[in-house]
Amino acid sequence: MTAVKELRSLLGADRVLDDPLERHIFSKDASLLRGDPHCIVFPRTADEVAVIVRIAAAHDLPVIPRGAGTGLTAGATPTRGGIVMVMTGMNHIEIDVPNQAAWVGPGVINLDLSRVAKPHGLQFAPDPSSQSACTVGGNLANNSGGPHCLAEGSTTSHILGLEFVTAAGELLRVGGLAPDTPGLDIRALLVGSEGTLGIATRILVRLIPLPDDVRTLLLDFASVEDAARTVSDVIGAGLVPAALEMMDQRMTVAVETWLGAGLPTDAAAVLLAEVVGSTATVESEARIISEIGRENRARNVVIAIEEADRELLWKGRKSAFGAIAQLAPDYYLHDTVVPRTRLVETMAGVYEIADRYDLTMCNVFHAGDGNLHPLIAFDASDADVAERVRLASEEIVELCLSVGGALSGEHGIGVEKRDLMAESFSGLDLDAQARIKDVFDPAHLFNPNKMLPSGSRCFDFGGMQREIPEGAWV
Amino acid sequence: MKTLADLEQGNIDHAPEGPHLFPKDVDDVVRIVKAATESGTPIRVWGGGTRQRMGAAPGDGWTVSTARLGQIDVWEPDDLTVVAGAGIGVGELEASLATKNQTAVMPERPGAATLGGVLSTGRAPLRRARLLGVRERVLEVTLVTGDGRIVRSGGRVVKNVSGFDLHRAVVGSFGSLGIIVQVCLKLWPLANASATIRVDDPETVVKVKRPLALLETPDGLSLFVTGTDSDVTDTVERVGGDAKEGLDWPDDPVGDFSWSLRVPPALTGEAINHSAPWRYLAIHGAGEVRLASDTADGAGDLRSWAEEMGGSLVLVDHPGDTLPIDPWGTPPETLDLQRNLIAQFDPARILNPGRLPGGI
Repeated sequence: MTAVKELRSLLGADRVLDDPLERHIFSKDASLLRGDPHCIVFPRTADEVAVIVRIAAAHDLPVIPRGAGTGLTAGATPTRGGIVMVMTGMNHIEIDVPNQAAWVGPGVINLDLSRVAKPHGLQFAPDPSSQSACTVGGNLANNSGGPHCLAEGSTTSHILGLEFVTAAGELLRVGGLAPDTPGLDIRALLVGSEGTLGIATRILVRLIPLPDDVRTLLLDFASVEDAARTVSDVIGAGLVPAALEMMDQRMTVAVETWLGAGLPTDAAAVLLAEVVGSTATVESEARIISEIGRENRARNVVIAIEEADRELLWKGRKSAFGAIAQLAPDYYLHDTVVPRTRLVETMAGVYEIADRYDLTMCNVFHAGDGNLHPLIAFDASDADVAERVRLASEEIVELCLSVGGALSGEHGIGVEKRDLMAESFSGLDLDAQARIKDVFDPAHLFNPNKMLPSGSRCFDFGGMQREIPEGAWV
Repeated sequence: MKTLADLEQGNIDHAPEGPHLFPKDVDDVVRIVKAATESGTPIRVWGGGTRQRMGAAPGDGWTVSTARLGQIDVWEPDDLTVVAGAGIGVGELEASLATKNQTAVMPERPGAATLGGVLSTGRAPLRRARLLGVRERVLEVTLVTGDGRIVRSGGRVVKNVSGFDLHRAVVGSFGSLGIIVQVCLKLWPLANASATIRVDDPETVVKVKRPLALLETPDGLSLFVTGTDSDVTDTVERVGGDAKEGLDWPDDPVGDFSWSLRVPPALTGEAINHSAPWRYLAIHGAGEVRLASDTADGAGDLRSWAEEMGGSLVLVDHPGDTLPIDPWGTPPETLDLQRNLIAQFDPARILNPGRLPGGI
């Protein structure tokens, strides 16, 4: 029997798709690279996931788990064909109020979880920009971040446990409500593994109490240096705001032209800070941040108290990617991290690269943790521009690594940065990573060709070469 | 031991007999593990010696001290990162960081514990309900595998998703993935003001959302708060009770036997009741209760209850040479996976063999 027939007898015809149009729809995620899946399946239970994995193994077909497809690194692109497993049907939410936790299906949308938790005075802290669409399973796979992980940590700090299906089609559970499960922390390896080690079927997340009060501040500066200094001084003063976000002038102009959110377009940099806690806490912290801002020559400080006012300030930040659409039909969004102390020089270098290649670039990023998101707006149908974007992108990543940075802060490695891993890690480091993969998935059927460059195992280093596939970058 | 003759040897108090080795750098560590792998000699990795009786004892062999790997290598206060050798004392590390109002959120009463030891044993701070455990602090780890490979995972930035988080998986691994030689941690600023409030009426505690810690001992409940000056003053007024400035962390309970009881956070109070008449220090909001007893009587029943609730009862310390009870309890369902992983990092199984649950 063919794999599709076996899958249809398990799931029914409506949950197994394989016509050309459907395969085209699921051939990529939010990145630019396309693959061609054998078929697409929509499981509803862990048992179904386990059987699908066994069917895939019997037919030697890769399995590519997929949430909402908002990933930016081709992590959910079926580059080697195979079965795309869409997890969105597994979307139950079970809030455990006394333990401030929830069991959720991998297909639960990030924002839906916080909405459901809200009446209980709780929230899920990770808040990627795509939170109205992305799934908790995808957050787990990519160890996603967001503005509020400055104070609360990335997704990994919010996953207490999970049930997952192994490459052998077995269902295992790790972690739980009780802390410090004895033995090796398998959960630590699964979070951020981009679907290459196992498939999460049920996830236990930590929820945190909603703050009593919130203040959102907007500070504008005549220089990027002053804004960056303010970020460092705020942390130096013993504060870790819930968020510390920066937008450069090129971005505020784009946002204002589109939205008219009231951002100062003549500022070289705009800093958005949020403090949470009791009213006494937020009042004193907001005062300290505005004082530090003024010491660093902030031209203006706005403190928003009411929710509507705060939302307006955030609207500019969160609409950044939408605003780009009016500049050009396509954009390429970077994600690198540099030590915060190297922020100013890195920004100067990034501007220089964009100008040298004559590209339109804007910056909006998580300044508090040095997580840069240079965004290049361009028209991908123009081959010459596309080539310049590719060259500039490589230079930007190399620049960030050269100042002690990391390849990715929250988007992941996927296919996009897979072959750059060798610039960040030694052969032995990558060999250790490849050994982990081999233990979990000896046949390499779980999301193959992602994260680790081919030839990561030491014995085949001879064959290791950079081979970023055509179209991965632009 | 031929090739190790030039290595510094010394005497580690309370360590078992056999050579006590003091590698001074990562290359020494590589030589030691290679020699041990070749000869099949078990290695007991020694930090400050505060948790050496946790888990089953490895067989007779060499004791390798990380004491000479004990310096701060890079500290970037503005980046909130520090890189230090595994052998640095946690007390010394925190004292240095405090000079610039920072903390690595390590255990507050560490005794002789080292950074590498805290990671290996997964020892948690009392502030864990608010600032989480050491696993959430680790940004990068360099370790030497059992067969002598130098492996690095993570990076020296506060946010990073590049590869599998091996650096987090070493937390609580008891050296089974390698000897930790260097660690980069994410730091946290120390707040300007702090107070310890003795709480008489437990109902008042709910007035404070997300305190630094809420601890309970047989002497009562204590609330630990930090923040700006006005913030702390305001909290002290709202809660009432007997307050004093600063954070007056309690010591772990003392007895011949010490234990760590782990339960879902909402069951912390119930866990205290189940532990009677043992002495306790409970971390509310985290589900950890540290216990001390004069005998191991009753441990089996307490463990059965804890496991039924999805938790565990772990033996942390005991007198004498024989274990009164399995130190960990029922092995995890991922035991085969764990064994296979360890085989990739310590093929001759020389690093603390047998110390983990399931005797692996």
